[in-house]
Amino acid sequence: MNPRLVRLLGSIGLDLLRSLAIAAGIVVFTFFVIRMIPGDVVDLKGIEGSLTYSQQSAMREELGLNRGWLDQFWLWLGMVFSGDLGMSARYSTPIADLLATVIPSTLALGAAALGIGLVLGIGLPTLACLFPRSIFVALVEFITIWSITIPTFSIGILCVIVFAVWLGWIPAIGNFAVPALILGLDIAGTIAKMLHEDMTEIQTADFIRTARAKGLARVRIVLRHILPNALTTVIALIGLILASVLTGALTMEIVFGLPGLGTLALQAIKGRDYPVVQAVIIWLGFAVVMANFVTDMVQKLVDPRLRNL
Amino acid sequence: MRRTLLSLAAVLALSIFTPAFAQEPQHGGTLKLHWGTLDTADFHRHTGTISLPHVFAETLTTISKDGSPKGLLAESWTISDDGLIYTFNIRQGVKFHNGRVMTAEDVRKNFERIQREVKGGWLTSAMEQVESFSAPDEKTFVVKLRAPFAPFLNLIAEGWILAPESPGWDANITQPIGTGPFTFDSWTPQIAIKGQKFADYWMEGKPYVDAIEFDVREIADASLALRAGDYHAADIPLSKIDALKADGIAIDFSGDTSWNFLSFNNRKPRPPFNNVRVREAIAYAIDKAAIMKIAAGEYGMPGNQMVTEGNFFFDAGLAANDKHAKPDFERAKAILAEEGVDPGDTTIYMISELNNRTAAPIAQILRQLGFKVDNKPFDDLGFQRALSEYDWDVFPGGSGPRNDIFLRYVRMMSDGPNPGLWGGVQDPEFDALVKAAISTVDKNESRALYLKAWRRVLDNYYTVVLGHSPGAYGIRPEVHGLTIGFNTSAHRADGGVAFTWIEQ
Repeated sequence: MNPRLVRLLGSIGLDLLRSLAIAAGIVVFTFFVIRMIPGDVVDLKGIEGSLTYSQQSAMREELGLNRGWLDQFWLWLGMVFSGDLGMSARYSTPIADLLATVIPSTLALGAAALGIGLVLGIGLPTLACLFPRSIFVALVEFITIWSITIPTFSIGILCVIVFAVWLGWIPAIGNFAVPALILGLDIAGTIAKMLHEDMTEIQTADFIRTARAKGLARVRIVLRHILPNALTTVIALIGLILASVLTGALTMEIVFGLPGLGTLALQAIKGRDYPVVQAVIIWLGFAVVMANFVTDMVQKLVDPRLRNL
Repeated sequence: MRRTLLSLAAVLALSIFTPAFAQEPQHGGTLKLHWGTLDTADFHRHTGTISLPHVFAETLTTISKDGSPKGLLAESWTISDDGLIYTFNIRQGVKFHNGRVMTAEDVRKNFERIQREVKGGWLTSAMEQVESFSAPDEKTFVVKLRAPFAPFLNLIAEGWILAPESPGWDANITQPIGTGPFTFDSWTPQIAIKGQKFADYWMEGKPYVDAIEFDVREIADASLALRAGDYHAADIPLSKIDALKADGIAIDFSGDTSWNFLSFNNRKPRPPFNNVRVREAIAYAIDKAAIMKIAAGEYGMPGNQMVTEGNFFFDAGLAANDKHAKPDFERAKAILAEEGVDPGDTTIYMISELNNRTAAPIAQILRQLGFKVDNKPFDDLGFQRALSEYDWDVFPGGSGPRNDIFLRYVRMMSDGPNPGLWGGVQDPEFDALVKAAISTVDKNESRALYLKAWRRVLDNYYTVVLGHSPGAYGIRPEVHGLTIGFNTSAHRADGGVAFTWIEQ
């Protein structure tokens, strides 16, 4: 086998193992940390329905909450390895069903936002580089300032008031396009800032001057030489963004009433629904591992210098 | 002149004919509500879902706007003179959503399941009093109690009657088959509950709408969705009322109120709060009117009782003689001095919920009195846990509407549920008075005993009532016939979603 390919695969395998170890660490850490927060799901049932202390104690016994944390952990781990995420302690419904309800919505919103973010975040700086005295430079600056200064939560509420309440153009709840656009602009601003700075810097590099001296077309210089070089750092950033969109956009879910992983996680933490929190954390770990893995792979494919690291 | 007369005639004609036309119910549409929550599809095991199950599964009684029980699946009932035997005449011709006619035997099976399965919640007190259930014929259901239990009719307003063939009956019901105006089609926790009109519903011609959707998502501001028309009605914070009214949205209030209070640690009191005079001094310093304004704006009602004016258990005399109706700081300081308490030497350990709006002003009042205050805010469940540990001196709290006055008193009983909310009162005399109140068949006598128990709470300063506030609901102008009841139940014998229609 080609020794370079072996090195590449070995490097990717190591990255994958490292990411898996981190994800496992997060899952184990969360299992114990969530139990350190005062209160449990029985307290919730107590608030809502009045339970005497003896009834609360019996309910804790039934739910296994009286057992030691390690006992609970081994029990849960056994279930997870047998492919059973268990039941929600609060709703007595299978956690798999809860996840199946929210993950498609989270993925769809995340994919749409990421798509908008990538198109604008990469497209605008590229156009600004191609046409340095055009409106595209101003647009890059606008989108950058937008993402830094405008919180998605407040612009979301403003959109609901203006477009749903005043103009009646969109529904106030369950709207998908507007939150995707808001998130997409936020992502685009983050990417565009870094990409624009990198592309501007690379333009002054010796190899670009050489390319110009050779008489290469500006389009070719930008697309074949400047953009790929600038993208290597941006790819790492995109990896982080990818992980965050896979784990839910809590603010947009709450403002636009979208069912999503962020809200499920928040409600589970507020309700101390441990099995649901743990299941969400597994998904989060998986998402982070996948995002890191994909990012590393793309970086290594784009930048040969990273293959031996 | 002629034109003016014609205009007047036209206005007169419209005023005569339009209301009659507008009030004719129209059928169709999907009623969309942001209202309440649901924790389980097994309604018998509910812990805090009083708002929504009635829409899908009904009960023998429901609570009227004034707090009294009214028959729903029970057409009528009689109570024996000794208060031990309740005989219910079950409504005939009522069908479950699977098409089968409900009988008294079904009612018996449900109550037996509740008695057997339900380990906590509002109904357990009632079920503990039951000696036997029987269904001597198809339309008679008899309950025999061990001792008279006055709250029984109100408490069984949450005893839902389901078809025993509901999936999961022997363990955990996953698909309740009830008799309500809507079928329970789907429930996605924290997202939505959806149902279709039940064509064979027993109330003739009802429900008017074809389908119902409860949105139980947590969203930033439900009033915006109400204004935008995404919801037909929604429970709303009091602070949004003016904005909604300006948009033509009608506001209705629940018959019962939520109450705010400042409780002392009664189970493990620490000096100087183990001295009733010190607790009295704190009560003198509290500005109830100002705090209730902060808590509920113009809808805050300062008071000194568990209930407000208009409620059967309200005592006008007690309200008129509230010596803490207005703050008296000098008196408070004088009492502390008489008791040899230097507030500067005392740190009050206060716990509160993060979203409690009365905590900050109360802490400020206590500081003005000279105390050092260590206020530790918790989220809901952390707060609940901290309460039960009794490692605190005071806390500001609140409690919502209840089906029966007993459910407010029971929490102050020594072995009552969630006793932490009122500082774990342990007062055998109070317990005896409440037990006597619930064992008394005569309503007026029962009221007098409850009030006597309340007097003990006031005299011992177990808790200081700050006041009350109503639950508010916004209803869009195209929605007709929707009224809010005593509590948050969305369907009742005398109102709610079965009576609601949407102007098309």
